[in-house]
Amino acid sequence: MMGGHVVIVGAGPAGMSAAISVAEAGCRVTVLDEAARPGGQIFRQAAPELKAPSYATEAEQRRKAALLADFASLGKAITYVAQAQVISAFAGPEIQYVADDATHTLNPDAVILATGVREKLFPFEGWTLPGVLGAGGAQSILKAQNVLPGKRIVIAGAGPLPMVVAAQMTRAGADVLALAQLHHVLSMGSNPLALLAGRASVLEGLGYLSTVLRARIPQLTGYVPIRAEGDTQLKSVVLAKLDAQGQVIGGSQRRVETDVLALNYGFVANAELATMMGVDLRFDEFSGWHPVIDDEGRTSDPSVFACGDTAGLRGSYVAQAEGHIVGAAAAEQVLGQAAKTGQNSLVQARKARAQQLKFQSTLRHTLKLPDGVWGISTPDTIICRCEGVRKAEILGALEHGHRSVNAIKRNTRCGMGWCNGRSCLHSVSALASQATGEPPQTPMTPRPVARPVTLGELANAPGYEVPDDH
Amino acid sequence: MTTDTHHCDILIIGAGAYGLSCAWNIARRDTGARIMVVDAGEFAEGATGRNGSGFRMQWGLELNIRLCKESIEFFENIEDHLDYPGGIEMRQCGYLLLASNEKELQRLKDAQDLQHRFDVPSEAMTPEDCLRMVPSLNPDGIVGGAFCGKDGVANPFRYLDALQKAATRLGVEIRYSTRIDRLVPQGAGYRAEGTFGQITTDKVLICTDWAASELLDEHDAGLPITGLPKEALVSQPCAPCVDPMVVSMKHHIAIAQVARGSIVFTVTRHREPGGDPSSQPDFLKFAGRQLQDLVPGLSHLKVFRTWGGASSVTPDMQGIYGETQLPGVYVAVSSYRGFMTGPAAGRIMAEMVVNGKSNDPIAAELNPYRFTQGKLVYEPLLNQD
Repeated sequence: MMGGHVVIVGAGPAGMSAAISVAEAGCRVTVLDEAARPGGQIFRQAAPELKAPSYATEAEQRRKAALLADFASLGKAITYVAQAQVISAFAGPEIQYVADDATHTLNPDAVILATGVREKLFPFEGWTLPGVLGAGGAQSILKAQNVLPGKRIVIAGAGPLPMVVAAQMTRAGADVLALAQLHHVLSMGSNPLALLAGRASVLEGLGYLSTVLRARIPQLTGYVPIRAEGDTQLKSVVLAKLDAQGQVIGGSQRRVETDVLALNYGFVANAELATMMGVDLRFDEFSGWHPVIDDEGRTSDPSVFACGDTAGLRGSYVAQAEGHIVGAAAAEQVLGQAAKTGQNSLVQARKARAQQLKFQSTLRHTLKLPDGVWGISTPDTIICRCEGVRKAEILGALEHGHRSVNAIKRNTRCGMGWCNGRSCLHSVSALASQATGEPPQTPMTPRPVARPVTLGELANAPGYEVPDDH
Repeated sequence: MTTDTHHCDILIIGAGAYGLSCAWNIARRDTGARIMVVDAGEFAEGATGRNGSGFRMQWGLELNIRLCKESIEFFENIEDHLDYPGGIEMRQCGYLLLASNEKELQRLKDAQDLQHRFDVPSEAMTPEDCLRMVPSLNPDGIVGGAFCGKDGVANPFRYLDALQKAATRLGVEIRYSTRIDRLVPQGAGYRAEGTFGQITTDKVLICTDWAASELLDEHDAGLPITGLPKEALVSQPCAPCVDPMVVSMKHHIAIAQVARGSIVFTVTRHREPGGDPSSQPDFLKFAGRQLQDLVPGLSHLKVFRTWGGASSVTPDMQGIYGETQLPGVYVAVSSYRGFMTGPAAGRIMAEMVVNGKSNDPIAAELNPYRFTQGKLVYEPLLNQD
């Protein structure tokens, strides 16, 4: 087909930036996105009629506005499908998605996966109580709906996000009672050269830190939640300090009464579609399975590309720069020639990515979870909330020789419910690695559908004919 | 390369419904034989873990009725038999077999005459009966059906787990991720080789179902077995709405609402035997359309997951039980029905392997030589037109 067709899954910084590149190179581009409006997690937009204020730093707001404006300015060249649930993906490539109550199939020349990451936490007693949620999830609700999850909030986690969320919740009027971070925020900045390389991120971070300091939010370094309490709703959380091995230090426990406990212990890549498409994967101890990519986002399948956090956890600056690079590479492949313009901006994007990678490498250790955190849960603690599978059942399966996530899943039903394992299988994987002393050998086999859709939506497939000879 | 060497007296290849049932049945005979079960995959990775969860005694051939009846009676008391207190989520909700034309209906009626001789409590159903039982069915095209309340559904994962634990308690050693690539005669027995190393053994029992012939082919002892790809999907859990297991002979679809409320749809398409068993790219759309035609009342249900699998198929679509041309090498192939015939198959194979022969007439009927001798046995209730 003239011009070629590229499908991009995800409209966060990586996906939007890739779409701009592909469109500018003259390819037809379709962007499939779960949300109602482009932006992804970090640049999530509220409905305009809400007139929701932003609680982000000015620098972040400027980045967001500029990228969204660029994306919108190519409006005609980019087919943006909002609220699209990508349900399956095959080599070929073929992408199937559900939108407007119907199932659609696309067979483009190339696919770019910009599916991002999901939040990671570790289970502890009571973590499934209403009132306990992901810090990024709480932030999304604030961005999209201008709603706080509650008045009194305790935030706990590792890496930079908990501090950002603490600042934004404070700016939105919440009472942040405690910010429990596994590693102190200043431990991120030990390397001056890396700080210089990442100065844009650092400045944004300092903006949030100053809010946290001005609001005198109690910072509990080295503390984690060990128990969430309440009958039908969170009433209080018990925080405790961990030693270097991750064991709870006796007597360090403190109980905080709160409405909300917002948690973030890093992220796990959304690699289900990449896995379904059969591309080579690698395991990262912090962020799980990722498609293996080269410098320009090519996976082991020449028609499948990946960029942004789903290809390696490196934050939104990298995602945006990489989307630009990978979009250009995909367009070049589909068109059979390099774009005639835009080479300067590509050089800049490569430079920006390289700089940010220096900075990101110093952030990485702040997401390190000590082994002991997986021992905070009790045998009775729910690991898989969809199917109600408890830790004792996981450990029992391991004891009976079921070592892989797939075998444990079949033996316990862990990961077979609504979320298809997205919220529990990283915990299962960590428990298995602790029991076996080895990193996981294979990812969970993702089976279509990647998101639950109805039988009626599947039957409503325009253009599909049931083969005669079935 | 470092490799492991093991020895056992009886090596069972395949840890599915047949392999583990054979292992447990041999071990409980207390012969002192060292029994090892190896499987190329992981727990429940093969056909048993992918099947549609149903069991039925409504068949049109004496041997199938007997195999399934014995197996279902075993399931009924499995907590005691296998010391598995939690049970296998068994639900004897019955099987409703739907006929879409008079020919299918007649076959169901003929089969019932035979079923009643074996005390199978099956009954003929009018179209109205069928719709009363499952209101979400599309009434168009249903001319009648058959129902037996002793049939039903159970959880194949729990069945395998129960067998694995019971066999392990009896001293059976079970090794996953251990693929046997070839069998080499050695002394009076065999050496089973794979990249893991080797296992020497006196006897071998091949329970890899549709792949069973692979190890026999190079010894010119091959059997006519192929894999028929099947596909399945499972819905969200919902309030009871499909009480009996429903089988539409016209659609080649089986529908089971399992104990936790999810509905499992198993779809058989006309596909080349031996092909890629994973679910095909158009399966979601295909299944959506077929189910809309069969059970329009369920179109609001969310689908959680789909998967593909393969069933073994033989020229007469019956299992194969017996010693092969290689002395001391046995096969147990289910042909389609490994889960629902597993307990009886394990009993018969244990008799053969331990005593040298089984006196059960089923063993004679399903012997591996029947294909060359032209003694095929046909099941009238499997579509063969």
